[in-house]
Amino acid sequence: MEKILDKKRIDDWIAALTDWEVLAPALQDGIWTYKPVSGAARLDHPNTRQSPKELTFPQREIFFSFEQIKGEPPKLTQILPKETRHVVFGVRSCDGKGVPRMDKVFTDHVEDTYYTTRRKNVAYVGLACNKPPSSTCFCLSVGGSPVSTDGLDVQMTDLGDRYFVKAITETGKALMKAAGSLLAEAAAADQKQVKQVHADAVAYPQRKINDPDGAPAKLKASFNSPLWDEMARACIGCGICTFLCPTCHCFDINDEVQSKAPLKGQRVRTWDNCQFPDFTMHSSGHNPRENTGARLRQRVNHKFQYFHENFGMHQCTGCGRCVSECPVGIDIVAVVNKVTENVG
Amino acid sequence: MINIKDIRDTARDMLAKGEVRTVIGYRRGSRGMPAEPAFITSPEQADELIWDPTCYHNLSLYLVHDRKISAHLQKNSGLPIAIVAKGCDARSIVVLMQEHYFKREDVYIIGVSCEGTGVLDERKLASHLNGVQPTLAAFDGDDYVFTTAEGEKRLPAREVMADRCLECRIPFPKEHNLVFGDDKTGRQLAEPFAALTKFEEQGNSERWDIWSHHFDRCMRCFACRSVCPMCYCDECVVDSITFPVTQQTSAAEKADRVRWIERSAMRSENITYLMTRAMHLAGRCTDCGECDRACPVNIPIRMLNNKMEREAREKFGYEPGASIGGPSLVASFLDNDPGDFIR
Repeated sequence: MEKILDKKRIDDWIAALTDWEVLAPALQDGIWTYKPVSGAARLDHPNTRQSPKELTFPQREIFFSFEQIKGEPPKLTQILPKETRHVVFGVRSCDGKGVPRMDKVFTDHVEDTYYTTRRKNVAYVGLACNKPPSSTCFCLSVGGSPVSTDGLDVQMTDLGDRYFVKAITETGKALMKAAGSLLAEAAAADQKQVKQVHADAVAYPQRKINDPDGAPAKLKASFNSPLWDEMARACIGCGICTFLCPTCHCFDINDEVQSKAPLKGQRVRTWDNCQFPDFTMHSSGHNPRENTGARLRQRVNHKFQYFHENFGMHQCTGCGRCVSECPVGIDIVAVVNKVTENVG
Repeated sequence: MINIKDIRDTARDMLAKGEVRTVIGYRRGSRGMPAEPAFITSPEQADELIWDPTCYHNLSLYLVHDRKISAHLQKNSGLPIAIVAKGCDARSIVVLMQEHYFKREDVYIIGVSCEGTGVLDERKLASHLNGVQPTLAAFDGDDYVFTTAEGEKRLPAREVMADRCLECRIPFPKEHNLVFGDDKTGRQLAEPFAALTKFEEQGNSERWDIWSHHFDRCMRCFACRSVCPMCYCDECVVDSITFPVTQQTSAAEKADRVRWIERSAMRSENITYLMTRAMHLAGRCTDCGECDRACPVNIPIRMLNNKMEREAREKFGYEPGASIGGPSLVASFLDNDPGDFIR
């Protein structure tokens, strides 16, 4: 299903999606963030500061509540996410690519009910990048493309005064059907233009990982390289790179106790971060990843080696957030290149 | 005007003579315009050093890292470290020495005067460049000059300078072994605490609304804490383990540990985190603004620290980082203190 939407009618399409809560990028506090659409939706964003992963993997997820009255058995009540249907507009291809990667993690061996409950209620309407929105983009290096449709339900392409709208999944078709006559049939000239726009987007120069295919083996061979410590020397050990990443998924689980007598509280899952020094702290006080070099290696190898070994794809989607937002210039592209170029 | 050759020559010379083991400075980053911290250990690397409006970082953080690493390895660090320091950075080093974090002779301060042109605020710059991404920034008199794909772009520094630099009272590293650039103290471009004063013109409920909004947005990535040279505590109230764990620590002690702040990033916990940090910086924050710059969601964290800094200044005439031998704010009292409890 390939259609054309007059740019001025995007709000009418969004208004027609009455079964869905619609989110789109909004500029707030100087950053682009996915927000519920109120009024006119803007799709002139570069990319959002945070990826849309929060929708399926929120920073705080309540698993269940617990209560124990003395002399009685403990009472546990599972709390599943609300089944609100969300559709997100303006998702860039790199973030779309993040979706199947998160699916692997949370559904491949064990199905995570909290994730799947949210996931089946989210649809992604992508917006192809006519040119990379940031100088730190590198999607082409990791098997992606500025016009990739991976993980998306619908892909929109900006053709000046109109959008070329293409259904990728059945959900996508349903979203487009809801638009009714707002979507016109795409003419041969539109098809031709979209092909050209996509070809130009792919030809636009990006930063490059030199040997992404060789990276898993080369990183494996470089586990003890002194380069890790050297390249992580400036790392401050904050959580920016992983919290902004569309595929980082590590979490912690804690019991948040609201009252001691009677004992009452909630078990919650929160984002965790391999760059925090206490991430791998053992109960004994021993820390197997005791310095920033070991922690940088973990982040890079997880993206480019371990995930690849487990699922046959790089976990990194080339969005460049960890590169552009690192306060001290730690640059995953430079790190992978430098470490791998030292291996034969 | 600072000539980068002077800094490079100094670094090369000191390393060649074996006077220092590392020179911490700035070098060109791999991702484009912004500089990044550089750790120069051989004379040949000295030419990597740069000085431009993107040298934001307060490098004294790495003196703290170094001290922690030597303590962990139980190794004497030996030769001193040389460090490139702006006015605010040098004041941070002074505070760390006041607190006996390291000794004066452990550090060789290569001071650089900001000469009143401070450093860039990339957020301000973005609003001037309409999506064009600069690849290089340079000082030129009272201007910054940016190299972009669409040619050179010149902007008066004061239009895109970080607020903390506009408000800086002493853009000169008084404590130094060697200093480059002229002392332009007094050439202040905005009133001290100008941004804070403007904010406080609003009523209580507006201020509460604004800060509640920010507290709700905090992701607790702890970049503000991690980038701060004053946040050097080995145990922090926000961490999962808030006390040193050794082989002697019992299972019960670990299980019954007090958790001051839950990991959930929610208003109550975020307020506790950000306010605890602000309180712990009273009389210690030298307004390097790194917390503000590092925040990935643009929470104006500097304002919290500014509030404490202004209290210290107005109530006690206290200026953090003024002198190594001077008293620290929270570890000293005045004989004529109006409060009885202190005596």
